[in-house]
Amino acid sequence: MNVNRREFLELAAAATALSVVGTGAARAASSADVVRIGIAANGPRTSDPNQTTQGSDNWATEQIYEQLVRPEDGDFATTPDKYVPTLATEWSASPDAKTWTFKLRQGVQFHKGYGEMTSDDVVFSFKRAITDGTNKTIMANVADVVAKGPYEVAVQLKSPDVNFLGTTGFSNNTSIVSKKAFDKIGAEKFMTDAVGTGPYELTRFDAEWGTAMKRHEGYWGQKAKIAGVECVYIADTTARTLALLSGDVDLIEAVRAPGWVDSMLQRDPTLQFDMTIPGSFNTLHINLTRKPFDNLKVRQAIMYAIDRQAVADALKPMGGFMAGLQPDFFPAGFKTADLPPELQYKYDPKKAKALLAEAGFPNGFDFDSNCSQREDYSSTMLIVQEQLRAVGLRMNLKIGDHTAYHADNRSDKNTLAMHSSSYPPIPTQLYFQQLSSKSEVKSDGKGGGNYSHYGTAMPGIDALLDKALMATDYKTYVDTCKQIELQVLRDLPLIGLSTLSFTVARNARLDMGYKVKSGYARWRFHRATKKA
Amino acid sequence: MLYRLADAIPTIWLVLTLVFIAMRILPGDPAIAALGDGALPEQLAEFREKMGLNVPIWQQYFNFLIGTLTLDFGKSYMNGAPVLDLIARNLPYTIQLTVAAMILGTVIGIPFGVLAAVKRGKLPDSGMRIFSLVGYAVPDFYLGALFLIGFALNLRWFPINGAGSGFFDILHHLFLPALTLALVKAAFIGRLTRTSVLEVLGKDYVRTARAKGARENRVIYRHALRNALLPLATGMGLSLLATLSGSVAVELVFNRPGIGRLLIQSITERDYGVIQGGVVVFALMVVFVNLMMDLLYVVIDPRIRVK
Repeated sequence: MNVNRREFLELAAAATALSVVGTGAARAASSADVVRIGIAANGPRTSDPNQTTQGSDNWATEQIYEQLVRPEDGDFATTPDKYVPTLATEWSASPDAKTWTFKLRQGVQFHKGYGEMTSDDVVFSFKRAITDGTNKTIMANVADVVAKGPYEVAVQLKSPDVNFLGTTGFSNNTSIVSKKAFDKIGAEKFMTDAVGTGPYELTRFDAEWGTAMKRHEGYWGQKAKIAGVECVYIADTTARTLALLSGDVDLIEAVRAPGWVDSMLQRDPTLQFDMTIPGSFNTLHINLTRKPFDNLKVRQAIMYAIDRQAVADALKPMGGFMAGLQPDFFPAGFKTADLPPELQYKYDPKKAKALLAEAGFPNGFDFDSNCSQREDYSSTMLIVQEQLRAVGLRMNLKIGDHTAYHADNRSDKNTLAMHSSSYPPIPTQLYFQQLSSKSEVKSDGKGGGNYSHYGTAMPGIDALLDKALMATDYKTYVDTCKQIELQVLRDLPLIGLSTLSFTVARNARLDMGYKVKSGYARWRFHRATKKA
Repeated sequence: MLYRLADAIPTIWLVLTLVFIAMRILPGDPAIAALGDGALPEQLAEFREKMGLNVPIWQQYFNFLIGTLTLDFGKSYMNGAPVLDLIARNLPYTIQLTVAAMILGTVIGIPFGVLAAVKRGKLPDSGMRIFSLVGYAVPDFYLGALFLIGFALNLRWFPINGAGSGFFDILHHLFLPALTLALVKAAFIGRLTRTSVLEVLGKDYVRTARAKGARENRVIYRHALRNALLPLATGMGLSLLATLSGSVAVELVFNRPGIGRLLIQSITERDYGVIQGGVVVFALMVVFVNLMMDLLYVVIDPRIRVK
């Protein structure tokens, strides 16, 4: 083909014009009738609440599904009496706390015309969670679920649970799904086309893009104010930040690293930040099987050497202080002043050095430890490293890939293992996962999250934990948990470093309709309003 | 052609084997990556069994090779979707981006290169040299972020992320990421064009064309450029392969779906099936591009066909 200069120029001009089609019109920001959130992940894995393994998928499930009971929007129910009626209107527990009976709300409609929710759906949802759920632990105590007529359900437990509403009742896995829909479309399709009763119903599931929902017009409560919700997955931090600043999305999941909030405010001072307190519990396991960490004086030295308030302050405004393993407003949580003086562990590097000298290490010692490269882990552990160095504890920190880090921890390859996990106000969950001898880490990778070997390397809290779990009244439960807190502070197999809020940066034009105070890393948009 | 295809089989097998071994050597547990670090030992064991991760390595390798031969890479550990479906959904976006970047890179690079050669030692030549240096030096993810801030965030001419739907919307979404890759390509192609054209400008047939009174543009574009195309084609083939790998970072920065983004995500999550499937696709694309380049040589230079 012969191309002369004129033809070449014409072709080039046409190609350029074609490429910039539409650039004259400013790109549309998200519509006033849609809440669009930028999620910090690559793509949704499932919309089935019983199968979620990626926390950020719960932004969608939170809009689509409901449980028998829920806490107030934007909060945790810190005691059982703070749960509010949702798909159940009233409930009661037997005196032995082993049978929980729920009266169901009548007239609740499932999405997509799947009819009214009845006890059959509740029984089905609970039983599915027991057999197929991703969190069988929370269902392990459920012996049976029985329908007592169309609008009443009894849950029978194997052992007492005074916290049943928190441990099991309000969970993704016990979201109520439509049995009729499940039977009709099958388990596989349900993964991406689930049917619930929540204020929004799923309209699109795209593994590359995200999920879209529209208002559930047959919702039993006050209908959502904004017609649609879109969860757009943007894993790259820069792309997600730019999407918020450009108005393409209304809110984004934050980067939980020091200085991030300030840097965002520099770019746009009108941005709002919603934070849950406590968010994640950042704990530090001390491996009791490694010398000299089996020596209590060394562990006490570590505790005095770490300025936990400074760690929390460095993560401001997301960081929070824990005197023990629970924030002070959680059940079993302590304020520093309420602890015995010897368990307050106020930052005291001189005392730390003295304790090390008493333990036979007047010049300190060197040791290796692993850390994840994820911002919240690495930033915290670098601060800890510096504070330990100041008293002579020279931690050679090896920072590596996050997935590999957890695999190494699970194979007992760490000395001081930081762990970040979120917990509801059910203290026994943390104790079981991180301190129980049943959860002891194993070198073959088949153990649990007790990386310190507490309960086997030295006597632990197993008996107290059993007592708390068998309690038939809430006061006994909380009192026993407080005893556990005190014992852990005495033995120091695990240190509460800080809490770290789940944070969302929000464009000021979007009003959530309530204040986000606490709760899991997801919240509902049904009360939100948005200016054009 | 068939011979060349058969020739590629050992290469692909070697790539597959290396990827299989690399993934198993890499620390990290797919079960923990999928279920989270809070998962209980029983849950992890159940997951490993379900995904075939509890069988011996040699058996996993055998299953993988059989799967590859039947184009069955299994299911993603993360969302249970068949790997082939994931690849089929993402591949068109990577092809779109690569092709658009190559077209833009060529459209920008070749005229620049020709101009630099013709105006050797003058301002356009110096400009080309600076452009090449910058093009080589600036990483594509950084350039992409600059474009996003400039053209999408501040000027609001382009969408900030995604791939769009509908012909014009897709083009609108494609332009900035394609331009990001294209400028790097243009620097390379421009430099290569300059060298090739300079080389042929001193040849006898160019002098003859000029002596016959041909217009300068005809001499350059008809006689010089045509003969400079062969080394250029080789370079562009390599450049196309580099564009494929460059698409990984650009897909992430622009939050575009594509094989590159899928691969990065899968490596982070230790989603072996998706990684292996993605690498097979990349390897096949490399083989395909090489084959196409061989065919292109024949079109460009008939002497090769005669040989």
